[in-house]
Amino acid sequence: MSFRDAGPPVALIVIFGLFAVLSPQFRSLTNVQNIVDSAAVLAVVTCGITFVLMMGSIDLSAAGVMGASALTVSLLVANNRNDNDFGFLAIVAAVLLGCVFGGLSGLALVLLKVPSFMATLGVSAVGLGVATLMFAGVQPNISDTMLESWAVERFLGFSYLAWIAAACILLGWLIQRYTRLGRYAYAIGGAEEVLTLSGVKVKPYKVAVFVFAGAFYGLGGVMVTSQLGAGLVQAGNGYDFSAITAAVVGGTLLTGGRGGVLHSAVGVLLVMVLTNGLVQIGVSPYWQGGVEGVIVVAAVAAAVIPQRRRNQVVK
Amino acid sequence: MSALEVRGLVKHYPGVKALDGVDLVVRPNEVLGLAGENGAGKSTLLKALVGLVTPDKGQILVRGESVKLRNVVDAANHGIGMVFQEQSLVPNLTAAENIVLGSEGAGVRRGIYRWDVMRRLAQEQLDKIGSHIDPLARTDSLTFAERQMVEIAKVLRIEQRSQHPPVIILDEPTSVLESKEIETLFAQIRRLREFASVVFVSHRLDEVLDVCDRVTVLRGGQSVGEVATAGAVPRELHRMMIGSTGSDDHYHENAATPVASDQPRLSVRGLSGKSFRDVDLDVAAGEILAIVGVHGSGREDVCRALFGAEPTTAGEIRMDGTKIDLPSTRAACAAGIGYVPAERKTEGMVGSMSVAENMTLAKQKARLTGPFVAPKKQAGLVDSWIERLSIRTPRRDTAIGRLSGGNQQKVVLARWLVGGDVRLLLLDHPTRGLDIGARSEVYRLMRELASSGVATVLLADSLEEAIGMADRILVMADGRVATEVPCPNGDKPSPLDLVKEMV
Amino acid sequence: MRISTRPAAAIMSLSLAAAVLSGCSTEQAGGGGDTAAADGACEASKVRLVGQVRNESNPYEASWLNGGDTFAKSVGLTQERLTYGGDSTKQQEQISQILAGDTKCLVMNVLPNGDSDTAPIVKGADQAGAYLVTQWNKPADLKPADHKTWLSHITYNGEESGQQIGDALAEKIGSGGIIALQGVLDTAAAKDRFKGLQASLAKNPDMKLLDQQAANFSRAEALTVTKTLLAKHGDKVKGIWAANDDMALGALEALQQAGKSGKVAVAGIDAVPDAVAAIQKGDMTATVSSDGAWQGAIGLAIGFCYATGKLKVADTAADNRAFFAKQFLITQENAAEFAQPKTDPADFECGNVFNRKVGPLT
Repeated sequence: MSFRDAGPPVALIVIFGLFAVLSPQFRSLTNVQNIVDSAAVLAVVTCGITFVLMMGSIDLSAAGVMGASALTVSLLVANNRNDNDFGFLAIVAAVLLGCVFGGLSGLALVLLKVPSFMATLGVSAVGLGVATLMFAGVQPNISDTMLESWAVERFLGFSYLAWIAAACILLGWLIQRYTRLGRYAYAIGGAEEVLTLSGVKVKPYKVAVFVFAGAFYGLGGVMVTSQLGAGLVQAGNGYDFSAITAAVVGGTLLTGGRGGVLHSAVGVLLVMVLTNGLVQIGVSPYWQGGVEGVIVVAAVAAAVIPQRRRNQVVK
Repeated sequence: MSALEVRGLVKHYPGVKALDGVDLVVRPNEVLGLAGENGAGKSTLLKALVGLVTPDKGQILVRGESVKLRNVVDAANHGIGMVFQEQSLVPNLTAAENIVLGSEGAGVRRGIYRWDVMRRLAQEQLDKIGSHIDPLARTDSLTFAERQMVEIAKVLRIEQRSQHPPVIILDEPTSVLESKEIETLFAQIRRLREFASVVFVSHRLDEVLDVCDRVTVLRGGQSVGEVATAGAVPRELHRMMIGSTGSDDHYHENAATPVASDQPRLSVRGLSGKSFRDVDLDVAAGEILAIVGVHGSGREDVCRALFGAEPTTAGEIRMDGTKIDLPSTRAACAAGIGYVPAERKTEGMVGSMSVAENMTLAKQKARLTGPFVAPKKQAGLVDSWIERLSIRTPRRDTAIGRLSGGNQQKVVLARWLVGGDVRLLLLDHPTRGLDIGARSEVYRLMRELASSGVATVLLADSLEEAIGMADRILVMADGRVATEVPCPNGDKPSPLDLVKEMV
Repeated sequence: MRISTRPAAAIMSLSLAAAVLSGCSTEQAGGGGDTAAADGACEASKVRLVGQVRNESNPYEASWLNGGDTFAKSVGLTQERLTYGGDSTKQQEQISQILAGDTKCLVMNVLPNGDSDTAPIVKGADQAGAYLVTQWNKPADLKPADHKTWLSHITYNGEESGQQIGDALAEKIGSGGIIALQGVLDTAAAKDRFKGLQASLAKNPDMKLLDQQAANFSRAEALTVTKTLLAKHGDKVKGIWAANDDMALGALEALQQAGKSGKVAVAGIDAVPDAVAAIQKGDMTATVSSDGAWQGAIGLAIGFCYATGKLKVADTAADNRAFFAKQFLITQENAAEFAQPKTDPADFECGNVFNRKVGPLT
């Protein structure tokens, strides 16, 4: 990691250190476990969105896809609405559904030339619609022991969800580093026209990146369901923008071509440490939103200091 | 048999005949120069050779066989590759990835990268041109010249696709290189000739004559002549390009007026910044001062600092005797300083905005009545400058991006003239990428401005240009002023005199 | 010049369209208002029933619309179900579309998105002569009594419900610390309910408020916030007061994940089915029913009674025009009765529609 990537990790350490000094509860083992557990879903969603951002596109479909996937998985595992009990297959189905939605976003982008901002916003609405249809007025509560155990059972002090998130980050990093998909996503963000000039067919890779991101949102929806014990249409509420925020805080550029999965993981931790720490040191809830916003902007500003120059254009 | 041959190629665009029956022959193991003014059809021809343009009529023959080139990959399969003028590398990938991009071969198995193989494949290419660049270095951490080497290495990958010696096209490869780097590039080209054919395109005729075996001259979409370079002189080529004997007075030296005033307009003492220290310089009204130096001499930063676009740590700047502060470009504008940046396309203009808007961008007051744009006021103002600078544009509200480079540059220059209060112009490579005709126009304009009393600081595109245009030349090396060379009409220094001081 | 003429033309055509549209609707409104409001003698089969809520994706509002369906069926009609996704602009658009159609005998049971959204809805209904019942949100100075066809505004006393569950918590834990999960801080519901908790704290001095955080009425946010607060206060937390059931359910999950299921009392408001079930099982202590199914039906029932002339605006008592409806504290003893949201047809007879009034709106 070069000097100019050092900003976010340094900010994370500084903010963590600051809270640790201010609050003994904050630095307790329980709370650190708690931060990591809470970060799990956001980490998985951010992992997916990072690939889209790296490409220079944007993805606002997370909320809708997660809602649809949450309802799908909760209706397919053992639940109080029907007699299904597909267990692990249900999880696979929910993830595949995420892929389908991602595919829709990608195809709308490359075939219909709809800008990713609008295409994914539309897909999010479709996802919420599908979720609402499946919801049909009665919340499905899950009773599948495996899915429930994800949020409750612990291994080496962290919940299974946290380990799943760690696995996703590792997988994301390997893909980003060692696969053509990951490298091309990165290259598309760097200079798409060069790829075309080099005879690379870019479109399939773009669609694939959205499909891949969709899988992560699908898994995110499953994880929320495991946490809440029920399939909620609102399972993905706010995750779209939180994930983009986390990715940007971590050093991924919205213009594409910079950052990556590890950056995003740092960004997620930064955001979670911040929200948790503000509660732990007892900042009034009426102030938290504002204080959090100021610190996020300050952290991003600090992170880009090494790359700043006068008359630089930022949009 | 020729490596590549073009017969009677024709390409129409709406309203323009870009190619009008071009013939061209590239022989094995030769460096062919391609010369012609902007609009002569060079770029269309090159694009046709790599499949980016489909000709309406005519034939392209590779080793005697007629071929149809539908895209870059097609061309590569026939052994034709091009190093583009605007560099075509992905900045955030490694050099190795760029070299093998699109033809990774054994470097990628089932979508998984094998970095060691990638590295080896790239190294093979780099070895061909004897480059010592680390294949796993990120491309944007390399210098421009190094990136060009990567680009050449990348083009050489086409050898893997066709089993024959490749044809490498270099489109304007020298336009942004410093002289040292150009030497290296020419060594590479001579090396390439051992196993490939090279088509070399440049605006600088001396370069063309230096590195090429033969030159084909294009004019108006046709081949108008072929010159063996041995013993040829630039003027001969120039005449063929423009179709008549070019004016000998390329730099409009006759129009140069002696500098009258000894009171300096701009006076800089002890200016220091990140990449320069203790810079002293004076420019009188009506004087053209050229600053020359190699890459890294700090001259660009000095120029930007004088426009308030680069922070300074010490020093004093006076305009007509009054001390001024330049914390921002806004302050510089207010002080009557105009700046024409080197990166015309990204810093000099807003491509999607009209000629009129670009012209009045910096001096809003000239077109406003109160807070509003006064259309009539703006129109009159803009039209008068279009006429005075003979800017060739269909209308004043045509998007500037659609004009030719020379006319774009005139609009950028006009921006500082519309206010009527510019006292000092900073010109950072004002003729970069322009053809001979357009250059000459820009030179004429500079002379006019000087005689009207504007002081000019010029960062020239070449030493020749600096010597031709300047009244005085400041040589910079390692961030300091190395020496000052007077450069009056009739007693011009030789490029060699300057080079000695630069390194 | 091209640039400037196009928007000008667009604006002209827009304003033209607006003129035409508004012309149409004024005419219609005048006609409809005269007939319907004056005699209120619509045939029962000609009445048009519209129910509008934010969305169907949460149990409470879903049961609202289902209650409306049940009532409509009981009088041989169908309810038009409208949802606006919590988007004020969209709500107004839907209302104007409905009002642009046939407004004679139109009955609307509306959940305004916020206080400020009520005024334009009332104004539109007034002009069109449509019968309107609003619930939950209205500005204090806007009163149905000042309008002809805005029949009633129904809401619940949030302070009372906040206090009721506070008291239930106090009774359950005896003494000790509790944490509070607030709703969206700038809503009236969140403010009133929290005020109720403060009253309860004053009444039960052994119960201490350790911490309060906003979880925005969201189950997921409540989960995270609760876990954080549990880490902060540890075993001092004996009870959790949540401003709605969704947050209470989120808190239950947090307790389970922290291995504290059953050790901490949890109370919420709304009586969503899952919360009632949790109370039956003993996982949760209490909730307060605001009875979504009844709300969905009662608004239509009131409108239906006036539209068909069985009730007359002139004869209606002033305190029936804006009132607090009765709410029920649900604990383990009576949870079985509330297990399924159901409606009693007798509640919607024209003589009984105001029976659940517990007091005038203050």
